[in-house]
Amino acid sequence: MTSTPITNSVAFDSTRARRFASITLGRVLWLAATVALLTVSWRFAEVRPRILLQPSTFVALWNFLRGLYPPDISPNFLRTLLSAIVQTVATAVVGTLLSITFALPLGVLATSTLWRRGILFSADVGSLTHRAGAVASRVSRALLGFLRAVPDLVWALLFVAGVGLGTLAGTLALAVAYSGVLGRVFADVFEHVDLQPLEALQSTGATRLQIFLRGVWPQALPHLVAFSLYSFECSVRAAAVLGFVGAGGIGYEISVSMRLFEYGQVLTLLLVFIALLATSDAISRYLRRRVVNNTKPARKVVAQEKATVSKPFRSKARRVAASMLALPLLVASFPLAGFTLDAFAFTGIAARLARFVRHMLPPVLSWEMVSGCGTAVLQTIAISLVGTLIGLALAVVFAVPATSTLAFLPGDYPGRVRFIDRALRWLLFWSARLVLNVLRSIPELVWVLICILAVGIGPFAGTLALGLHTAGVLGKLYAETMEEVPIRPIEALRSVGARPLQVLLWAIWPQARPLLTSYTVLRWEVNLRASTILGLVGGGGLGQAIYNNVQLGFYSRLSTLILLIYALVLTSDWIGERVRLRAA
Amino acid sequence: MIYSLKSVSKCFPERGGEVQALTCVTLQVRPGELLALLGQSGAGKTTLFRLLNVTLRPTVGVVLFDGDDTSLLSGRALRTMRRRVGTIYQQHNLVPSLTALENALCGALGRMSFFGTLRSIFQPAKTDLDRALHALELVSLVDKRNARADELSGGQQQRLAVARVLMQSPDVILADEPTASLDPTLAESITSLLVGLAREGKKTLIMAVHGVDVALRHFPRAVGLRDGGLSFDVPASEVCSDLLCTLYSQDGKSTGERDDEHAHYKLGCVR
Repeated sequence: MTSTPITNSVAFDSTRARRFASITLGRVLWLAATVALLTVSWRFAEVRPRILLQPSTFVALWNFLRGLYPPDISPNFLRTLLSAIVQTVATAVVGTLLSITFALPLGVLATSTLWRRGILFSADVGSLTHRAGAVASRVSRALLGFLRAVPDLVWALLFVAGVGLGTLAGTLALAVAYSGVLGRVFADVFEHVDLQPLEALQSTGATRLQIFLRGVWPQALPHLVAFSLYSFECSVRAAAVLGFVGAGGIGYEISVSMRLFEYGQVLTLLLVFIALLATSDAISRYLRRRVVNNTKPARKVVAQEKATVSKPFRSKARRVAASMLALPLLVASFPLAGFTLDAFAFTGIAARLARFVRHMLPPVLSWEMVSGCGTAVLQTIAISLVGTLIGLALAVVFAVPATSTLAFLPGDYPGRVRFIDRALRWLLFWSARLVLNVLRSIPELVWVLICILAVGIGPFAGTLALGLHTAGVLGKLYAETMEEVPIRPIEALRSVGARPLQVLLWAIWPQARPLLTSYTVLRWEVNLRASTILGLVGGGGLGQAIYNNVQLGFYSRLSTLILLIYALVLTSDWIGERVRLRAA
Repeated sequence: MIYSLKSVSKCFPERGGEVQALTCVTLQVRPGELLALLGQSGAGKTTLFRLLNVTLRPTVGVVLFDGDDTSLLSGRALRTMRRRVGTIYQQHNLVPSLTALENALCGALGRMSFFGTLRSIFQPAKTDLDRALHALELVSLVDKRNARADELSGGQQQRLAVARVLMQSPDVILADEPTASLDPTLAESITSLLVGLAREGKKTLIMAVHGVDVALRHFPRAVGLRDGGLSFDVPASEVCSDLLCTLYSQDGKSTGERDDEHAHYKLGCVR
């Protein structure tokens, strides 16, 4: 190394230079609070890592793994399988159609720019009709929030208790849960349309209905279509899981086969489940591309791009043929999803539902009841925190080799690369991707059943299951985020002679940090919702209490628990939003 | 010879064929030499730099660095070589969310050990910190040391990129139009700084420059690049208007139409 004019002759106070690990009281307090929270959560989630190392655990897992192969493909089972697939698809289709039907009016009503504020109300704020509209709009928004906050599996359990076992309960649950999700998204889309055309329409003397039909609707339509298709994808996933509480479909078959120790059937069902998800994703993506130009499905309405709806097929004959094909399928879905004539005519579904609702009201709000749920609530929070933490740790381990920019050498890599080096990198990358995909595509509830085999019924099984599924989801997101980081600074560091670890720490991590944090916090919010239902199959938390009360027929206590879930979800949304704002 | 390029060509795959970025470039650079690289945008200057700092593999030909064939090195040897070559990029290539000080510290990464790296996340070594602050002082950015790189102005970012190379203290400095986004005074001071550093430390400096007059004032040797091939390689005193007109003219004709920019070059060489 040559001598340089740069020596350490400068008398800078280097400790003052920057906040490198400067220890402040605030930081110490934050750290202490985090450690305390995690320690308490650790106890409430009943995490016992030692169980994982016991020989009996290995034996149980080994028996499970050995039982998986060969997958069951006997004709008898295939017949059951086929009807389960048909039920699942029909449930998803009808559930989506119904949820769109409910979501549209609720969404329009919840759109604040149409009823409460904004340019349409510069003139008549305070009039009686305006006030009434504003109240209705707020009520609608709150209702959507409630429908969304209660997990779909809890809705399914309620409908199973209300209308009996079978696909009808699942369909109704999907319809209700997803009308909450879609209604909120629709309202957001309506609110984010370009406002100038509305102003112009209003100045011509158009009524609010005319403004909506001519100004808002045409702008919103592409996004409504895109989000509805996206919601169909989610419905298929949900429909396949609802069976765990008796709502029919693939989930029901999985839970039955697990209980009968028929692991070969479980493998077949899981493979079919994954294939079904892949197919519905592909169909939905294809339709979105054909029907909607320039719209990316996002979970939230981030930015409104200009999008248009185009006709899916060019020739008229094809359009007619497509609708001729699609209509009967849609119509046929209804009976398959449980909407049979006798279901409505003879058993009197409406009457049964009304009786069920009457039993649920009023919720028990006595102090004993609420404080008795305290442990369950804390356990739920603990499961979500520790589960997210486990998921995060595993995700980091697998995401680094699954990041193609880190795993592979750049295409024009100078210097000599041995074949064995390339082969190892390839192997590492694809095995990490495979592990993440397996973790992600198996639903949480199935993981719970598997973890119960290893560690027994209880919150630890739920925590582990949540952690494994979260690892898959977060790992994929982390890897994709790190891959999309701007490449130029990375190149600069490589040319300085930085090794891969340094590139990761100094170029990738600083650039990806805000997104990584916000994904993790979002996932914690999802996990909190999920941890309320893990108990339905033996994973602890509030779900356990819900399940017990349904079994015992204490429906008024059930409604208390649902209100608790609502409060939990509202709180987590609020906390999550604060944390994400700080991180950004 | 610090650099020895033997009939080096570089193709980039592109939709429906290939783009020839460099064609049969042969070039020798002695240690401690100051070399100005002239040429229009798209002449292949950036590609040449990426071959010289060993982040790109030539399609044909050999790049020898200090007598070693760069295509035969791997792993640690490659990193050691890269450490000896500092690059100032046209687009700065700073890490936007790190502070100026942290970006400057990045220059020392090649020298850090594994544990030093882990430590540097929390608290970099004092010597590194002092050197980084001194480097920032040389480009008068000490006041901005705690500002994020993406909060700096274009000129400040450019100076920060210079500071990172100072921190690296390499044997060879490659500068890809480092003064492009600076005002004339600052451009002159940065050029003098780099040239002074190179002369003082007996470092090799290869700099792509936009203003011909700057090149002729500071650099004893000028190399012209045109359409990926060497157009001329002469001592600065021999650069004449004919050479420059060939270099900057459209379609290779010295009498072709020129826009203002090229008239400026002409002016520069006549002066």
